[in-house]
Amino acid sequence: MITLLASTAAENPGILESITSTFGLNVPLFIAQVVNFFLVIIVLKKFAFGPVQKMLEERRIRIADGESKLKQIEKQLAESATTTAAAIAAANAEAVRLVEEAKAGAAAFSEQKSQEAIASAQSILTKAEAAAKADRDRLATELKREFGRLVAATTSQVTGKILNADDQKRINEDALAKVEA
Amino acid sequence: MRYLLTTLALSSLTLTSAFAAGGEEHHALPLYAQKLHESLPISNSMVMVWIAALVIVVFCRMATGKMSLIPSGLQNFAEWAFESLYNFLESLMGKHLTHRTFWFFGSIFFFILVSNYLGLIPGVGTVGWTALDSHGHASFTPLLRGANADINMTAAMSFSFALLWFYWALTENSVSGFFAHIFAPKGSFSGIMLLMMVPIFLFVGVLEMVSIAIRPVALSFRLFGNIYGGEQTLESLMNLVPKSIAFLPALPFYFMELLVGFVQALVFTLLCAIFLKLICDHGDEHHEAGDHGHH
Repeated sequence: MITLLASTAAENPGILESITSTFGLNVPLFIAQVVNFFLVIIVLKKFAFGPVQKMLEERRIRIADGESKLKQIEKQLAESATTTAAAIAAANAEAVRLVEEAKAGAAAFSEQKSQEAIASAQSILTKAEAAAKADRDRLATELKREFGRLVAATTSQVTGKILNADDQKRINEDALAKVEA
Repeated sequence: MRYLLTTLALSSLTLTSAFAAGGEEHHALPLYAQKLHESLPISNSMVMVWIAALVIVVFCRMATGKMSLIPSGLQNFAEWAFESLYNFLESLMGKHLTHRTFWFFGSIFFFILVSNYLGLIPGVGTVGWTALDSHGHASFTPLLRGANADINMTAAMSFSFALLWFYWALTENSVSGFFAHIFAPKGSFSGIMLLMMVPIFLFVGVLEMVSIAIRPVALSFRLFGNIYGGEQTLESLMNLVPKSIAFLPALPFYFMELLVGFVQALVFTLLCAIFLKLICDHGDEHHEAGDHGHH
């Protein structure tokens, strides 16, 4: 500026004086204002803008830290999700295996119980058949005895003969043979 | 905007002169700041500089008195204002340059803004004393004057920025890089093309040097002209009508002056930032590439 004013003044003598006197531009006031301005700037920097700028800087650092922590948390969350998914898959496989084992166990148990029931029923049936056969044999024996007694009594009354043991035995056998035939 | 203000000021001055000729006595805002002390270089605009600095410091101390990580109230407003300006400058100059120079650009923006608004407060330029000068004429000396309505103040800011601009440009580019940035051919030339381009770019460099020399002057007079023009317009408009309703014609222009005060603070800061970005362009790219490399 000074160079320009000086060159302008050299080309047009009197113009510099004209400008300075018109606008009140004078060296002592100009220097005083420069000093004043720098003092103001220093005061503003120290007492006004310094604390605000420091606060803004702190907040920027805090936000940057928060962002980095957020990224870390996101990473951990992704890792956790992977681990959880793997654990769930393992648990699912274990559950399926247990269910299969339970199904197999239940089928074997059911078969065993069925066989036991069948065996038990068979045993009951056999016993019932044996009891029925014994009853029938007993009844047949009693029937034979009664029949023989009736035949002997009838023969004795018809013939008026007292039958001995041999006769009775023979008559009974004949009658039974005929009945059975 | 400047032309509009100048036209309005000239029209108002003409009308004011007509009133004055009619018998009303008015005083126009002087073009320069008055000294408040005979021997010490203290002007009425300098007092406003201190008041503006005090206002900013008090506001920031109030806003940052009880700092909390979750801001509210004044702290919230202060952080919003600072962060908006910081992000705006960062989008222009890049991270490295903004981080390095924000103390200056932040100070200059808020200082100009507050100074401009303080200059609009009633009493500034009108409260003072009248004394007889060496010629026996009564001269009115206001106690306060808008800081940016003094060419010495705007020149001081521009000149200070010019010095810092050189310092930042040299430290970002190195001395050889600084001159290469101004004079060296841009683009990839070789052989005869390079030889042909060298004198052209040398000439362009000389023009660039002239442009660099003009910048502080342009910055000074732009800010001074707009602020002085605005204050002069308001004063002239108030002189158009009787004192009981003097505020009325100026009232709409107060709203415009609020806008002008903000726009001029932004323009001054923006131009300074762009001038710095232009000269540090390569240096900043290099640093940002370095930063990325580190990450």
